[in-house]
Amino acid sequence: MTTELAEKSVAADTGSMMIEVHRLTKQYGDFRALDTVDLSIRKGEFVTLLGPSGSGKSTLLNLISGMTSPTSGRVVINGVDATDMPTNKRGLGMVFQNYALMPHMTVFENIAFPLQVRGMKKAEIETRVAEVLKLIQLENVANRRPRALSGGQQQRISLARCIVYNPSIILMDEPLGALDKKLREDMQLEIKRLHAELGVTMLYVTHDQDEALTMSDRIVLMRNGRIEQQGSPETLYFKPDTVFSADFIGSSNLFQGRLEGEGDTVTLTAGKDRLAVELRSEAAVGPGDEAVVLIRPENLHIADGAIPEGTNVVTATLLDTVVLGGVVRHFLRTEDGRQLVAQVLNRSDRARPKRGAPVQLYWQVGESRLLKADPTFSKQ
Amino acid sequence: MSSGDSYLSKRAGGMLIAPLFVLLLVFFVYPLLLTVWQSVYENGFTTRPYEELLTSTLFAKVLRTTFDISFTATMVSLFVGYPVALHLSRQPPGRRVFYLMLVMLPFWTSILVKSFALTVLLGHAGIVNQILGYLSGDTLHVTMVFNRFGAIVGMINYLLPFMILSILGSLLAQDPNLARAAQVMGAGAFRIFRKITLPLSMPGVIGGVIINFTLSIGMYITPALLGGRKDMMVANLVDFYTRQTLDWPLAAAIAVVLLVISGVLVALLGRVRGGSGTMGAMA
Ligand SMILES: Nc1ncnc2c1ncn2[C@@H]1O[C@H](COP(=O)(O)OP(=O)(O)OP(=O)(O)O)[C@@H](O)[C@H]1O
Ligand SMILES: [Mg+2]
Repeated sequence: MTTELAEKSVAADTGSMMIEVHRLTKQYGDFRALDTVDLSIRKGEFVTLLGPSGSGKSTLLNLISGMTSPTSGRVVINGVDATDMPTNKRGLGMVFQNYALMPHMTVFENIAFPLQVRGMKKAEIETRVAEVLKLIQLENVANRRPRALSGGQQQRISLARCIVYNPSIILMDEPLGALDKKLREDMQLEIKRLHAELGVTMLYVTHDQDEALTMSDRIVLMRNGRIEQQGSPETLYFKPDTVFSADFIGSSNLFQGRLEGEGDTVTLTAGKDRLAVELRSEAAVGPGDEAVVLIRPENLHIADGAIPEGTNVVTATLLDTVVLGGVVRHFLRTEDGRQLVAQVLNRSDRARPKRGAPVQLYWQVGESRLLKADPTFSKQ
Repeated sequence: MSSGDSYLSKRAGGMLIAPLFVLLLVFFVYPLLLTVWQSVYENGFTTRPYEELLTSTLFAKVLRTTFDISFTATMVSLFVGYPVALHLSRQPPGRRVFYLMLVMLPFWTSILVKSFALTVLLGHAGIVNQILGYLSGDTLHVTMVFNRFGAIVGMINYLLPFMILSILGSLLAQDPNLARAAQVMGAGAFRIFRKITLPLSMPGVIGGVIINFTLSIGMYITPALLGGRKDMMVANLVDFYTRQTLDWPLAAAIAVVLLVISGVLVALLGRVRGGSGTMGAMA
C-alpha cells in the first residue's frame, strides 16, 4: 500500500529526475524559511545541502519528506506530483541526527519494522534483516536494545533500517552531527560505500563543509532560504560565484576594492595594494565597480628567492605557523591589517620562515578569481 | 572546599525541612503508629481483631466490593483519560496549558462540593433526568445516584486528573522523531499508535492505574455520598466500627490492612517510575 513510489522507481529509466522541486516556498509568519527554491536531483546522485544554521536546509528536506507542507510551489518525486501526498505514501527513506530508533524494540525489530509495514512474510523479513546487518557489519547485535549500543552503532542501525526496504531516495539530516570526528569520518566512508553499492539517490544535509566536499556529487549551498550556488565540490571550491560561497567553502583570502583600467586584465586597489586581476564575464563586474579578488591558501606562495613573472606581490608579517600533518598553514597579516592564510606542502628539507618575520607573498594572476562585491556580506 | 560547601548546604537544607518533618511526625507518623498499636493491643497483646477479620464475611464482602468498584472506576478512568491525554500531547504548548487547567479544575475543587454538585446533576430531579424526561415524554428516568453508578461517576471525577497527568507525562517524553521516522517508513497513523505511541506510554498507563487504584480503595466521602447503601467500601467499614459498634481495635486492624495494600501498590509504582525514568516531569 505504501510502496507505490518505490515500485515505480524501479521501472523508471536512468537519467530521469528523482526529485524535482519547483518554486518551493515555506513561510512562517513574516519569515521566509525557504524562498522560491528550484532544485532537481538525478537518479543515483549524491546531493548535499550545505549552509549555515538557519539557512533552510532542514526546511527543504522536511518539505520533500512531507513532514511540513509548503506555502507555495510543488514537490515532484520520481515523476509524480507529491506536494499533497502524505509522508507515508512517498516511499522515501530517512536517517535522523538522533537516530530515531524505537527504544522499546530490539535492533532486529527496529529493522524489521518497515518490512512489516510492507506486509512482508516473517521468513523473508528474517533473511532481509540478516542481510543488512551483515552489510553494516553488525550481525551480533540483533537482539540488543538500541540503548545498549554506541552512538556510531546506533547510527549504523538506523542506516540499516533505512536501506532494508530499498527506498529509491534517502534523505539524511545531519546524520553524523552527534558523532565525534574519527567516527564521523568512518561513517562518511560507510555512507559513500552504501551509496555506491545500492545506487540510491541521496539528499544529505550538513553544515560541515569538509563533509560536503568529501561526500557529494553535487553541493547545493544555501543562504537565507535560497540557493546561493550549486555544483560539484571542485566547482564550489575553485570557482565560487559569490563572496559568500568563496568564504563558506574552504578558507579564502579576499581583497576588496575598486576596479580600474582597460582590457582583460585590470587593477584592483585594496588599501595600499594594487592587484592585477583577469576580468570574467560571469562575474558581471567591470572597471569602476567594487569587486573582490579571491586567492585560495594553496595558491598563495611565500617568496623564497626570485618571484616569477605574471604574479601579484604583497608584503606581510608571519603571525603563526600550524603544521597539519602533510600540509603547513601560515597565518599572516599585511601592513593594513588584512589577515591572510597560505598553505604549502610540508617538506622536511625546507626551512620555514620565522614567526614575526616580514615575508613577500605572491600568486599567479590566473590563479585568483574575481567576484562581485557583496554589500550584505562581510567577513568577520 | 566544595565538600565544605555541600556540608553547609546539606545542613541548611536539613534545617529548612525540619518544621515539616516535625509536623509530619506529630500529625502523621504518631497517629499511624497509634493505629497500628491499637490494632494489636487490648489490655495486653492480641491478634483478636485480625482473627475476626479473617473470618468475617462482612469484611470479605466489603473488601470484594471495594476492589470491584475500584477496579471498574480505574478502568473507566483509563479509557476516558487516555484519549484526553493523547489529545493534550498533540496540542501546541500554549493551548495545552489551557486544556490542562480544565483537566485540573475538578482537582482543585473540594470533594464534598463536587459530590453534591453531582447529586444535583444526576439525581432523580437532576438536570440529566430532566432532559431525559423531556426527550422521552416523561417515561424515562434513570437512577444515577445512591448506587454503584453514582459512586463510580463521583470517583472518576476525582481520579481522572491523576490518570491524565500520568499518561500525558509518558506521551510527552516520547521523541517526536520516532513517529516521523515511522511515517517516512510508510507506517499509517494507526500502526504508529499501536506499535510506538502506545507501548512507549505504558509506564504512564501503569503508573496511572496504580495511582487510581490506590486512591480508589481508600475512598470514603464520595462513595458515602453518591454510592448505594449496599455498596460499602472498606473506609466506610472503618467508620462503621468506630462510630456504630465502637470496636476500635477492629477498626484499626481494617485500617492497617488497607494501609498495607496501599503500601504495596505505592512500592509497585516506585518500581514502574524508577524503571522508566520518564514520568517525574508531569505527575
Ligand atoms: N516551525 C517553525 N516556526 C518558525 N520558524 C521556523 C520553524 N521551523 C524553522 N523555522 C525557521 O526557519 C529557518 C530555517 O530553518 P531550518 O531548520 O531549515 O535551518 P537549517 O538550515 O536546517 O539550520 P541548522 O543547520 O541549524 O539545522 C530558521 O531561521 C528557523 O528558525
Ligand atoms: Mg537543520
